Amino acid sequence: MKKEYKVIGKPIPKQDANIRVTGKAIYGHDILLPGMLYGAILRTEHPSAIIESIDVSEAIQLPGVHCVITADDVDVNNIGYKRDHPILKKGEANCTRDEIAAVAADTKEIAQQALRLIKVNYRIRKGVYDAFEALDESAPQINKFISGKFENKNIAEKFHYEHGNLEEEKKKSKHIVSRRFTLPRMTHACMATSNITASFNNIDKKLLLYSSTQVPFLYQRDMAHALKMNPSDIRVIQPVIGGGFGSKLDMHPFEPICALLSIKTGRPVQIIYSREEEFIASPIRQPMVIDLTAGVDKDGNFTFREINIIKDNGAYTSWGATTPFVIMQAFSSLYKVKACRFDAKAVYTNNIFAGSFRGYGNPQATFALERVIDLLAGELGMDKADIRLLNANEKGEVTGQGLHYDTCGHKECLETVIEHSGYRTRSLQNNDKRYKRGIGIASMLHVGGGAKIYRSDGCGTTLKIDPYGYCTIITGSNEIGQGSETVLAMMASEELGIELSKIKVINTDTDVKPWDVGVHASRTSFVAGNSLLGAIRILKEKLNKKAAEFLKTSHFDFDYSDNMIIPVNTKEGIALDKVVREMHFSAPNELAIASFFYEPSSKFQDKDFKGNVSGTYAFAAQAIEVEVDTYTGNVKVLDIYVAQDVGKVLNPLLLGGQIEGGILQGVGYALTEELLMKEGRILNPNFHNYKMLTASDIPDIHFYPVETLDKEGPYGAKGVGEAPLIPTAAAIANAICNALDLDVLDLPIIPEKILTALAEKKGTK
Amino acid sequence: MDFEIINPATTLELLGTINELQSKHFRFGAGYSDLLMELKKKPEENLVVINLSQIKDTAFTGLTISPDHVRMGAMVTAHKIVMNEQLNKDYPVLHQAALTLASTQIRQVATVGGNLCTASPSGDIACALVALIAHCEIMDSTGKTKSIPITDFFLGPRKTVIKKNEFLNGVLVSANNKLSKNIYSAFLKIGTRRSMECSVVSLAYHIQTDDDGDIIHAGVAIGASAPTIRFAKDACDYLIGKRFDHIHQKEKEEFATKVLSYADPITDIRATAWYRKEVLYNLSKSIFE
Amino acid sequence: MIKEHKESRLKEEVLHVISFMLNERQVTCKIKSSTVLLDLIRDHFSLKGTKPGCYEGECGACTVLINEAPVNSCLYLAVNANGKNITTIEGLVKSDGTLHPVQESLIEHGAIQCGFCTSGMAMSIKALMNQYENAQHVPGDIRIEIPTRNEIKKYLEGNLCRCTGYVKIIDAAEQLFAKEDQ
Repeated sequence: MKKEYKVIGKPIPKQDANIRVTGKAIYGHDILLPGMLYGAILRTEHPSAIIESIDVSEAIQLPGVHCVITADDVDVNNIGYKRDHPILKKGEANCTRDEIAAVAADTKEIAQQALRLIKVNYRIRKGVYDAFEALDESAPQINKFISGKFENKNIAEKFHYEHGNLEEEKKKSKHIVSRRFTLPRMTHACMATSNITASFNNIDKKLLLYSSTQVPFLYQRDMAHALKMNPSDIRVIQPVIGGGFGSKLDMHPFEPICALLSIKTGRPVQIIYSREEEFIASPIRQPMVIDLTAGVDKDGNFTFREINIIKDNGAYTSWGATTPFVIMQAFSSLYKVKACRFDAKAVYTNNIFAGSFRGYGNPQATFALERVIDLLAGELGMDKADIRLLNANEKGEVTGQGLHYDTCGHKECLETVIEHSGYRTRSLQNNDKRYKRGIGIASMLHVGGGAKIYRSDGCGTTLKIDPYGYCTIITGSNEIGQGSETVLAMMASEELGIELSKIKVINTDTDVKPWDVGVHASRTSFVAGNSLLGAIRILKEKLNKKAAEFLKTSHFDFDYSDNMIIPVNTKEGIALDKVVREMHFSAPNELAIASFFYEPSSKFQDKDFKGNVSGTYAFAAQAIEVEVDTYTGNVKVLDIYVAQDVGKVLNPLLLGGQIEGGILQGVGYALTEELLMKEGRILNPNFHNYKMLTASDIPDIHFYPVETLDKEGPYGAKGVGEAPLIPTAAAIANAICNALDLDVLDLPIIPEKILTALAEKKGTK
Repeated sequence: MDFEIINPATTLELLGTINELQSKHFRFGAGYSDLLMELKKKPEENLVVINLSQIKDTAFTGLTISPDHVRMGAMVTAHKIVMNEQLNKDYPVLHQAALTLASTQIRQVATVGGNLCTASPSGDIACALVALIAHCEIMDSTGKTKSIPITDFFLGPRKTVIKKNEFLNGVLVSANNKLSKNIYSAFLKIGTRRSMECSVVSLAYHIQTDDDGDIIHAGVAIGASAPTIRFAKDACDYLIGKRFDHIHQKEKEEFATKVLSYADPITDIRATAWYRKEVLYNLSKSIFE
Repeated sequence: MIKEHKESRLKEEVLHVISFMLNERQVTCKIKSSTVLLDLIRDHFSLKGTKPGCYEGECGACTVLINEAPVNSCLYLAVNANGKNITTIEGLVKSDGTLHPVQESLIEHGAIQCGFCTSGMAMSIKALMNQYENAQHVPGDIRIEIPTRNEIKKYLEGNLCRCTGYVKIIDAAEQLFAKEDQ
């Protein structure tokens, strides 16, 4: 039985849309503090070199320059998930991003001029720009801060996972398919470039940071470690954030550098990346090579998967190195599979290092897996939809890795897109000489209720109602454009019967808000939502008690509606604000305030990576139709049919925005986006040659939400943010292969790759 | 990026400015979408920019359509071309080239003169004008003008015949042949995206047929396929006298081969020379499909 | 290395005095030859609603209207603003705080996520409305009927957005023209 809600499920626009659409929202780029200086960073000229000397004497003499720092001027710790990353580099440069020196000056122009006056002597050395080469015994050790924990000096991190009897399942397999997939560097390209404003108060020694981090509490701790400060002396305020998508999960060197410039000068300092710097020095999706071997029995049941992944870690280790957590989930648990063996290594090279990016390794994994499923179906002569439906995940399933699917919309998502796309009924005629059409299907599994990879995956909320009946939600979670503020306000409005215009969300200040692990793993609506609902329950108990007292009733069951508290099944109630005033101003004088910390029921995985890591799981399927121009290799994506198990639609308008935005990033990943590198340098650090799709490139997107009402989720909802882009590249690749009978193994599938493949097939190239 | 700027308000003032600056390093600024990017990447010392965008003379800024030709002042914007109904009807190749240039915003400022004088091998409007066998009206600092065929205008990447004491005043395109009954005219631009592209390959063609459907005029130009935009003369000559809708496979291939003979593309981050040739050949054939 | 504070002395610059209409107010200021309009409106006039996305004319976040047409203010020389009529996102809102229909439509359609592209998008959509209205009476110009969805997409090609996938932005624009049709 579906419950009727007054606010939940309604298409309510973002509550902060009005400030954003009028230009009144204050982003990091708009902050101007009294006495503020402008910081700028000198990066290495060579991706791999010995730094013989740095001479800043001319730069410091330039009028308007306040401070120049190099590694010799600062006493700091390394940063990064493995603490293998010096903030300022000393002695050697290991990748094109390396920060050699930084300046603070009166104006941006003077700061840039000062950088040009810094003289660095480099002794260029041969770099290692290929992960396989880096694994060779003869390769030099690239990162000197990592001690030999693994068998090879250039391994930064490794993962091994297995379930089932692989050898046995291999024997049972009728067909086995093996392929090597190569995945490119994609970058977040947030519309606002990276920025920070640091203001150190040298009287009380406290540091204030205006930062667009998406994980403020982890950031506060990382910053404190880097600067050798007490975390509580660092206050992080988040201005309006111009795009995240995972790029702001790690703390990057420019952030402590800006803090150091402020500490040294005693003045506020601001660093804003140019677009070119953003392309060069902000994170990327992990490039990797995936070797996948998979089998199927005579009836079409998946038997086993064997996976070997080499990830190009770049010169330093970011959270990106931990994406195998998610990658292995796709391989172990998307569709039923009896045995799985998974190995992944992140390998140091002199390339730029990766970070986290929406999907966290899952788009790469899903691309490989869903391509191979098409190939297996081909070997068997089985329909590509049927093989998926046969093996689809089900409610109640506990996967080999120990994920519990208490609700599961996998099959329903597949069925929905198969039906709506007309997959089974579409005519297979492809007579046009030039334009060829094809359709492809792919699905995905992702965490839908946070991911317990930190000690806590929780979120705190403090909720108060003021004497005028307005509600303030102080939440640990953040708004990075996705609409979490609005969804939380809607939940409070639903539960407390207060209209949205009377609900405020405070979420930008670590000195004020309670702890939260941050925006990642599609967790905010789920975790922060449950946290808020917990606080509401507590506050309602207090209000109910007071209302009962006031109404002189023994009734303890109330409806909250239209700013009134009304005993259930009666008409006469009492105004909410009146109850709050009564609480505040009459004995025993109590605040209408409540706090709650929600910790998802998920478990830390054991050392074998087994365990129920998320509160719930999200599923999605996409069917995509393309038309390929065989004269040019251009692919036109015609229609995208997407069904996603979202648990419960909380706000269809915001949900649609997440789906469409995610999908277009997925289309870009499939067809156009790649940060090109040669010998450690980026060849296309601009929007001109890094091809993000424009409004005129968009396909028609048909979205069908699937509601499975998960008991763990707020109102049954699951996380939705990352899922939309995960299966897109796979489905597009499958569609192209369907249209042209090709075997696509790498992304992006640019026009030239298609013409080359066609020419090779014809034997003309 | 630092420079001095001079803002002549009339052509006369412009001539004076050019005369005065003969011993100095100067550049012309029209729409600035290319110039500012270039100067940001590579600042030039002691540069004077002669700002053309405040000159009001209609010979420089206006678009005039007369019975025997169309004349576009050098400062006519891509947007103005796009919006003109007559150009759209008579010269679809030019309309389409202007419409695929960069973005809506850039088209408001990008000029015909800028597109020609930048002499980029991938210039869109320039490629269409080569297919239309336009004439360039060049004025020197004494106020004398001469007209040269556009096929003689480009010397190499970013090099034109314009001397230091000269500037491009306008462009002339002849009216379509009086006998022409049908016009087959288009600008085919290939890139990865549908917008915001710099051509990886482009093909401009403007073909006129008479009452019988026989080709009486053909102009074909290729972009991003050689150091300059090139006019595929042999390919054009080959078409004269043929029935446009009766060109068979062999002839299409021969035509495409002739077009391709003008190509001498490079390999860069956007595409290989192989791809450029392959696409150019395919596009050439596609004209008749 | 920290230095004793010295007064910063900028090189003697050639300054130009320009005068133009900015959001319906006449303004006059002194600028350097190389100043771009984006910096002038953000730094000198402190109108921070116009966003710096790339300074390369590629993303459209800095779009403003110059004599009603959309222009990338990052590649527009401030010198050329002289005598022009310039509208920024701040100029779309009436003085009593009433939003422009473009803004209302963007909100209603859920077309705003991070919002960094939004100012530029709003200005481009406003420009399309201007073009539609003006083209009815410019002799020789193509008369635009109500723009089709594809024409709207094409018009917005110079405004990149990373969050929304453009769908709801195009919906918002389309709705504005649908209303005019009624």
